[in-house]
Amino acid sequence: MSSDSEKPVVEAKPEEKPTPAKPTAKPEEKPVELPAFEKGISDKLVEKFGDKVEVDFVKDDRVGIKTSKENVHDVAQFIRDDLHYDHAESVTGVDYPADNEIEVVYHLGSYTESSLARQVLTLSTRAPRESNPIPGQDSTKLPSLRDIFYSVEFGEREVFEMLGVYFDGHPDNRRLLLPEDWADLPPLRKDFAIKGR
Amino acid sequence: MTDIMPPGLALKKVDERIMTLNVGPQHPGSGHMRIVVQIDGDYIVACDPDPGYVHRGEEKMAEYRNYITNVPHLERPVIHDSCNVLYPYVLGAEEILGIEVPERAKYVRVICSELNRCIYTMYWLAIYGIFLGHSTMFMWPAGDRELLIDLMEKVSGARVTHAHFIPGGVRNDLPANFEDVCLRQVNYFEKRIKEYAAVFYDNPILISRTQDTGVLSRENAIRYGTTGSVLRASGVDYDLRVKAPYDVYDELDVHTNVMKEGDSYARSKVPWLDMMESCNIIRQALQKMPKSGSVRTKLKPNPKTKGPATVYKRVESGRGSLGCYIVSDGKTEPYRVKMSVPSFRNLLAMPNLLIGEKLGNMPSVYWSLNYWPVEADR
Amino acid sequence: MSAIAPKFKLSEFIKSLLDNAFWAVLLASLIGLPIIQIVLFYIEMPVIDGELLTPFLALTWLADPTRSLPILKAFMATDMFRVMAFPGFGFAALIAAGTIFIERKMLAKLQLRVGPFYCGKIEGILQLAGDGLKLISKEIIIPAKADKPIFWAAPVIFVATAAAFVALIPVAPGWVVADIDLGLLGVFAVIGFFPIITILSAWSANSKFPFIGGIRALFQMVSFEIPLILSLLGVVILTGTLNLSEIAASQSSFPWIVFLPVGAIVFFITMLAELERIPFDLPEAESEIVAGWLTEFSGMMYGLVQLGTYLKLYAFAGLFVVLFLGGWNGPMVVPPFPEELLVGVELGPLTVGPFPGLPLFDQEMLNGTLWFVLKTVGVIFFILLPRGVFPRIRIDMLLSLGWTKLIGLAFVNIFIALGLLYAGVLGPGGLQ
Repeated sequence: MSSDSEKPVVEAKPEEKPTPAKPTAKPEEKPVELPAFEKGISDKLVEKFGDKVEVDFVKDDRVGIKTSKENVHDVAQFIRDDLHYDHAESVTGVDYPADNEIEVVYHLGSYTESSLARQVLTLSTRAPRESNPIPGQDSTKLPSLRDIFYSVEFGEREVFEMLGVYFDGHPDNRRLLLPEDWADLPPLRKDFAIKGR
Repeated sequence: MTDIMPPGLALKKVDERIMTLNVGPQHPGSGHMRIVVQIDGDYIVACDPDPGYVHRGEEKMAEYRNYITNVPHLERPVIHDSCNVLYPYVLGAEEILGIEVPERAKYVRVICSELNRCIYTMYWLAIYGIFLGHSTMFMWPAGDRELLIDLMEKVSGARVTHAHFIPGGVRNDLPANFEDVCLRQVNYFEKRIKEYAAVFYDNPILISRTQDTGVLSRENAIRYGTTGSVLRASGVDYDLRVKAPYDVYDELDVHTNVMKEGDSYARSKVPWLDMMESCNIIRQALQKMPKSGSVRTKLKPNPKTKGPATVYKRVESGRGSLGCYIVSDGKTEPYRVKMSVPSFRNLLAMPNLLIGEKLGNMPSVYWSLNYWPVEADR
Repeated sequence: MSAIAPKFKLSEFIKSLLDNAFWAVLLASLIGLPIIQIVLFYIEMPVIDGELLTPFLALTWLADPTRSLPILKAFMATDMFRVMAFPGFGFAALIAAGTIFIERKMLAKLQLRVGPFYCGKIEGILQLAGDGLKLISKEIIIPAKADKPIFWAAPVIFVATAAAFVALIPVAPGWVVADIDLGLLGVFAVIGFFPIITILSAWSANSKFPFIGGIRALFQMVSFEIPLILSLLGVVILTGTLNLSEIAASQSSFPWIVFLPVGAIVFFITMLAELERIPFDLPEAESEIVAGWLTEFSGMMYGLVQLGTYLKLYAFAGLFVVLFLGGWNGPMVVPPFPEELLVGVELGPLTVGPFPGLPLFDQEMLNGTLWFVLKTVGVIFFILLPRGVFPRIRIDMLLSLGWTKLIGLAFVNIFIALGLLYAGVLGPGGLQ
């Protein structure tokens, strides 16, 4: 289920929210003057990876990059080594049951490069989603970025327990916040409903 | 399956001479979390922080409420810093809802935010004092904090849980004669906190206890992604109020306090210096604030969004950079709200700093990380 | 109808009162009085006014109040009184209670708050009694895997050892429970018991935090006992005696702190460490090891340990006064006993007295006690003061302080004493 849902993932993406976002990124380049510095960052990525990455949005101080789970490790490596982003601010998981996918968003920032101090680079990738999750044992897996950005360690642990995304290569894939006897669905999935709401 | 066991249960069988201590969650030196430490004699050889004792699922709750009703509960992670913890969410919601904020409201926000930073830091400092066994340093900040709490009560009507920032401005205008009272209280407050140097920061026992313990080098501070006072105590000049100003911080003269040492002492001193800087900012903001005008753009009770969008906003809170990532799918409730909290980011430094330290250094190193367990759990 | 006692009836209430009174009188006359008679028959009775006090005569004070003072005076001469009341346990416990109250109020003033305030109307004077009642009424919880006999015994032994320490402190000339020739050596021996009790109680609790606290207490006390003993040797060298009463009497013209300030400072610091006061309260460091070796104590067991701690505090302060501050010596400030009370007072038409048995205490003793208490309270004040000023020290800093700096200073003190002795300033042929 996971392997054949991967290909549609990349094409089926525009139905959720990139539909308005993606056309604004490239074709409206002339009318909506894009910020030049941020455009330079996204251009470098596109130049290096071609169609492996997709520019989600380019706004003031914010650059959004989407990539598939096979390429996310290489893209992150390039972002750290050549674009000088040095830490991750947060790791967020967003559940998209309609796409049957879970998106994991890394917000990357830089302390060392003073020109990047205002910038946040949003690197997002998607993992297949299973309706009956067995966290750690099913196909909901992504490569861990912990060897590139050490600061994602606890963030990825949190995404693992909250959405059931297992990170391959993470040295410490344990629960973090939830109780030790938690045996329900990962709570931030959309099909985990709060009682009475 | 063993590698995905919960913390504490997965610890391997260890040598007889190693003792495993469960510090917390009900321990006077842990806060609302558990730290599983293993000690060999007096030295910590392994440390596994286990947050989550007060996890309340704020992010899940936010998906069920609209952009306005999310305001009171999203401040709960740090009620002592409630204005700051709400600030990025409010900025993000304004962008998603497409609202402009009046100029005066921006200044009121700055004043409230700086007052709250001091209120939080005083509470943190009080606990730092009692963690080191300095009971006077527990009582003094806890008492002097009342000065600012009274100010915030005048502004918002509530002593701690203000819920004062809302999308579109702030809830109420400042009361009459607030500027004079605020200036007087803040000046006295600054005079008081300068006296702390004599009893606490220049105390020889404190200095010999905290200097050169838990040293976080500049490289590691960046690598662990720490933020706020922890980062600045390690020599990284990074303060969002200067580097990426939001609201009206670019019109104010903000000075960043940086220390090079990166030890517990520097980490405990930077927030104290930041409080004096906050007093400066409040004085500037009171001077530059428009004397009259609206403080709030009226909103409908269940406001409509402009359409699907993602927003990531950051502010500098009492503990460091606090980010809020909001995913909107065009409905009246946010699709996903993620709080990127500084405590959670600073927590990663803790096991790395504690391993190799003495057990007696655990409270000073742990609390110098400007860590608020409730915020990390959300 | 009140909700507290819905079925209240006055007749029932009076009946219950009468019932209680009846049983009290019956038990007292059938059991109480015979027991008093038996006890009085067996104990050795003093001689009062030339006749032996018999059990019958002892009870006559009920009818003749003039007899009560001689009996009281005779009782005050017994060892029982000395151990239980005046220079011993009762006096020390009273000062300890005062110390706790003063500590809380003083610390509160230092920290800009009010401290105990409501209990007892006047400045919370009854707070301590309230705390004591609370501790007594609490359940005593013993850990399931504790070594129960030792765990039960530890607080009692702790208080007993502290009381033994108190017994060695002379309060006024002749007023000491145990006036032994090797008094100072006895003090060292008693101090040596505390680490053993601490480690026993910590180990028997079979819990991790008490264990760490006990080990820390052991380290701390053992390493500070050596500078403690060495710092007192200077006084022994100068006075040539180990008897605490003689040491106190030897300072009639000047206290030893004038010549041995270094020894006094070293002794004061070691005293803080032995008492586990801030900044040396590592065995009870709450942010690291909860309450250290006291973690598993609850209820009155904890109360007993606290009582023992404050008795120990009083005893150490008293020892400091006796050794360095001149003990009971001081200018005579107590007025002489009014002579007319001995012959009788004329109150208008009738003459009251004379009162046999007066004065109960002589002028010397009252003056000595006054000066001793004043000095002790002063020393206690300085012991309490660091609590408001200092943070806690770390165990390695503490040990290096004890083993290097304090021992060095103690030797400096000994050389000062020897120098004074051989230079002839003090000792035979010198000032004294």
